[in-house]
Amino acid sequence: MKSNKSNIVKRKERKEVFTTSSGIPVKRVYTPEDIADLQYDRDLGSPGEEPYVRGIYPTMYRGRLWTIRQFSGLNSAEDTNKRYKYMYQQGITGFSIAFDNATLAGLDPDDEGAEFEIGTGGVNVFSMKDMEEMFDGLPIEKVSTAVIPIMWSTCQTTGMYFAMAEKRGIDLKKLDGTTEGDPLSTASCITNPTASVPFRHAFRLCVDLAEWSAINVPKWHAISFTSYNYREAGVNAYQEIAGLMAAAIAVIEEELHRDRGLGVDDFVPQFTFHLSSHSDFFEEIAKMRAARRMWCKIMTERYNAKDPHSKMLRFHIQTAGSSLTYQQPLNNAIRVAYQILAASLSGAQSMHACSYDEALCIPTEESALLSIRTQQIAQHEINVTNVADPLGGSYFVESLTNEVEKKAWEYLEEIDKHGGFVEAVESGWFRAEVEKAEMKREDEVRSGERDVVGVNCFKMTEEPYKVSFFRRDPQLVEKQRAKLQKLKEERDDREVEKALEELRQVTESGENVMPAVMKALKVYTTIGEISKVWKSIFGPIVPSGLAITM
Amino acid sequence: MERKIRVLTAKLGFDMHNRGMSVVNRALRDGGTEVVYIGNQFPEGIAETALQEDVDVIGISSLNSASSLELMERVMGIIKKKHLEDKLVIFGGIVLPDDVPKLKEMGVNEYFPPGSNVDSIVSYIKENVPQ
Amino acid sequence: MEKSNIAKGKERKEVFTTSSGIPIKRIYTPEDVADLDYNRDLGPSGEDPYTRGIYPTMYRGKLWTIRQFGGLNAAEATNDRYKLMYQMGVTGFAIAIDDASLIGFDPDSPEAEGEVGVGGVSVFSLKDMEDMFDGLPIDKISTAVIQAINTTCPHTAMYLALAENRGIDLRDVDGTTEGDPCSFGGCSDLKANPAPVRQLMRLCGDLVEWCAINAPKWHPVSFTSYNYREAGVNAYQEIGGLVASAVDLIEEVLSRDRGLTVDDFVPHYTFHLASHNDFFEEIAKMRAARRMWCKIMTERYDAKDPRTKMLRFHVQTSGSTLTYQQPINNAIRVAYQSLAAALGGVQSLHACSYDEALCIPTEEAVTLSIRTQQILQNESNVTNTIDPLAGSYYVESLTNEVEKRAMDFFHQIEDHGGWTKALELGWLRQQTEKEAIKYEEEIRTGKRRIVGVNCFQMEEDPSKITYFRPDPEIYKKQKARAEKLKEERDNDKVEETLNELRDADDSGENVMPAMMKAVKAYATLEEMTDVTVRRHFASGTKSIFSHLSRMIE
Repeated sequence: MKSNKSNIVKRKERKEVFTTSSGIPVKRVYTPEDIADLQYDRDLGSPGEEPYVRGIYPTMYRGRLWTIRQFSGLNSAEDTNKRYKYMYQQGITGFSIAFDNATLAGLDPDDEGAEFEIGTGGVNVFSMKDMEEMFDGLPIEKVSTAVIPIMWSTCQTTGMYFAMAEKRGIDLKKLDGTTEGDPLSTASCITNPTASVPFRHAFRLCVDLAEWSAINVPKWHAISFTSYNYREAGVNAYQEIAGLMAAAIAVIEEELHRDRGLGVDDFVPQFTFHLSSHSDFFEEIAKMRAARRMWCKIMTERYNAKDPHSKMLRFHIQTAGSSLTYQQPLNNAIRVAYQILAASLSGAQSMHACSYDEALCIPTEESALLSIRTQQIAQHEINVTNVADPLGGSYFVESLTNEVEKKAWEYLEEIDKHGGFVEAVESGWFRAEVEKAEMKREDEVRSGERDVVGVNCFKMTEEPYKVSFFRRDPQLVEKQRAKLQKLKEERDDREVEKALEELRQVTESGENVMPAVMKALKVYTTIGEISKVWKSIFGPIVPSGLAITM
Repeated sequence: MERKIRVLTAKLGFDMHNRGMSVVNRALRDGGTEVVYIGNQFPEGIAETALQEDVDVIGISSLNSASSLELMERVMGIIKKKHLEDKLVIFGGIVLPDDVPKLKEMGVNEYFPPGSNVDSIVSYIKENVPQ
Repeated sequence: MEKSNIAKGKERKEVFTTSSGIPIKRIYTPEDVADLDYNRDLGPSGEDPYTRGIYPTMYRGKLWTIRQFGGLNAAEATNDRYKLMYQMGVTGFAIAIDDASLIGFDPDSPEAEGEVGVGGVSVFSLKDMEDMFDGLPIDKISTAVIQAINTTCPHTAMYLALAENRGIDLRDVDGTTEGDPCSFGGCSDLKANPAPVRQLMRLCGDLVEWCAINAPKWHPVSFTSYNYREAGVNAYQEIGGLVASAVDLIEEVLSRDRGLTVDDFVPHYTFHLASHNDFFEEIAKMRAARRMWCKIMTERYDAKDPRTKMLRFHVQTSGSTLTYQQPINNAIRVAYQSLAAALGGVQSLHACSYDEALCIPTEEAVTLSIRTQQILQNESNVTNTIDPLAGSYYVESLTNEVEKRAMDFFHQIEDHGGWTKALELGWLRQQTEKEAIKYEEEIRTGKRRIVGVNCFQMEEDPSKITYFRPDPEIYKKQKARAEKLKEERDNDKVEETLNELRDADDSGENVMPAMMKAVKAYATLEEMTDVTVRRHFASGTKSIFSHLSRMIE
């Protein structure tokens, strides 16, 4: 072809350098040369085939759409039940429990410090009774649930859900769902001493749960590695997936180290992952594709996995809460829409779309509905679910996928140099990395290098949108305390004491705690009572971070 | 020699969203103030430390709109009881827009919503710190 | 490589297709683009065949123009709205004109009753244009004058006269006249008598010719496939039609034999496409349209100037995809359609507002439309690299398929004698209706899902949004305004200029010089269109809409 050299003067570009959100330089244009080394079978493969870059299932969304799993919880179990029923009616296909800070910290409503944490950020749950009320009338045998606790509350909250299902007559072997409780995730970014268990112990409780459910609740995904939390706290896209890999490797090593006869193919197929979908559209897509390839390589090369399920990175996506703004809140609906689209072009298995008011409060019914509708529009109207991995082959996307993966491998090596993820978290190194990344981001926003609409550009003196806000039930604390009182009057305290004593013994002996936890929960032992046993054994956490003079 | 402005910073209650706090701490430090960061604390702990550490400014952060106002009410109550009214109290994080006037009414000197320029926090402190 | 042992699951549907009915395979691989020759079929942006974009730097050099179409009540209210939008960061205006003005009636005309302030702002004289742009920097920001059918020349003349009166050199005035005379013919059922299509083509040609010399930065015609896309045609028909209509106007100008070659006037052409709801098909469509246009200008017209071969286009997100039900959902649809346009390499974009299926957008809704574009431009990083989807097995494959089908449709139009003839015959109208009916049928049967309409319906509308209500006094007010204008102006001067206009129109000379004079004397829209349009009804020429009565029977 006669290349008609254009006589248009090459315009100056708007910026000196263009980069992704994580700082990867982006060229003006990508051509076949950028992917000259790409070997289709080796580097991409078809969906459902190694290395799973193009998706883990052969049919992808043509077979089954991703699960619309909205993370939600407000006030009490009753109010949350109402919200769940509403969302179910509107078409969500998975539940996900957002607990309040008191529950997450493993506190009962009358424990010291619980008062102001009840109903903050989620629902207050302190016994199996709450779980029963929360899921009353909801078809949990058909719809899967994600239990999202941290640290002190992982075993108790998941156990409550199991016990509730059993009480309803559901065979635990058929129960489908996920526990998020990745202790590495929260430990890497939490500064709140009351909410965290000495890390080694938290890690042990988490692996106990994984081990026990591998046998008793085989469809349950007992651990979901959650890079979402540290991504939200500051790390960039490739650091996110490197951390994710490192965390999963740490748990594999812990389980193999126990030498209880399980091979990777026995427990890794249950792993799931929880990533963020942030605001750099293509980088996020590249990140999710790269994560699948990386995981497949790790499982194949490092662990010699045989079961394809061990090699498939199944993941949930939550849109990035930290990308949302307090200013001009309705703008957040648009950010969420793009982040959801990025996830759907990347082959996520389930998604939570944040709500536009989430930078201000727990979502209202109205905003929660738009989150569901956003996903439904992406699923049903815009035809992006017609074809698996629609961006496969794009010079830019393939090139960026390679680059993100390369940087993630380098960062994984860095984590290994710091002793692996557990060590890196315990030593505070990873926490410092998170902060460093966040400072950089903040500097960029401040200098205007990174634009955030409504924050450092297109600001308005008056809020343009009339949105309504959610307010916590002002009577909630009293109500929950009364409920706790009533529970204690009605249950058999001797049974509770017996169960707690058994829990103390197994915890001290190093046996798996889950059988004892289940027993305790079934007699309506509270979350706080169980936590107290553990706190008395594990001791208080060293209050690092207290009164640091800088 | 001129004494550095001392700022106590704290996360209120259990709120775990601390990326904003980290950024503000650094900005305060870079801005030449001395920062005493005490992590997550309840109102009593905050007031207690403020007294012990003899700070000039108390900076509190929470992203929990559900409880921030109530907790701040308690903070301000204790501050009055302990006669710490001479300290400059600033709040950063989420208070629903309709509630911002209430925050001021209870005696909080200034409110900085998410997305505020951190430099504006530093300059506010320098301009308003009690002499 | 290890074959996965996971059983191949059943699919949700028998057949998967794009919105336009193009079958879609489960997976696209390098085999699907085996014939792709990079230099021939894609090439770098800014070079033939422009598939990847018309400029070498694209959004790294300049972001697309945020051009929000707006107009409400009278000129003053619209001026307030424009000022607000300008403050929020729009980088281009587009005037939405009310139905009365679009047809060419003044507010004091009996025909205008009930049409004043409907769908836009009432603009019937230069005075309105002056009020509407009062205090706005039209020397820095471009404007699109969006009218239809009867008022192409007078409305453009009003805007240009306003600029001249402000002391701006016409050579520097930047903007666009949409006035594609062929566009509405494919879709409109206007109740007022429309003009004969040949006369409209002639007026449009006059404007093109006059602007090429007098207002060289002005784009005197923007071929608007948006209108017939909205009326029903599918994605590939849309661009097939777009190219056919542009080719027809080229033929009209060339046939005058006034010494202009394609390179003299085609560089001023712009295009106005829809961004509909099939995300990838729309991207493929925009890429295919650029390649197709380049081929036709090169092969058929032997164009030399690269600008002649570049398809510059504005995109409007698809109003017809928006729903009356659960209106806030529309914000999401618009967000996706805006992204498709950005990935399609658009030059300017109007993002519809979420309440547009119910009313003229409120300030709140317009704010979100602008913010949607700004989030795309400033936060999503999709503007960092050019044509980011190039090379994708699926997107390249679909681009080829859309182009092939568009070429077929273009040839079908040619077989019917070209765009104008196909319009006159009613053939295009039939195609439009056929597709529209098919689309509706798919919604009715549930084959095509529309959230809130045939799935996820709700008994009670959840959104608490506010609605815009037009000024109930608008007709009375504008009528009084028209009467006042006619008292205050120099009516002898008006009559003199209208006579001059009549002479130009009769003689076949270019009407624009006389039109500019008439506008500056504050002749009204109706007075001018009486001369240039309505007089021609008597001539017996066939109206674009003559087939309508047949079809309705």
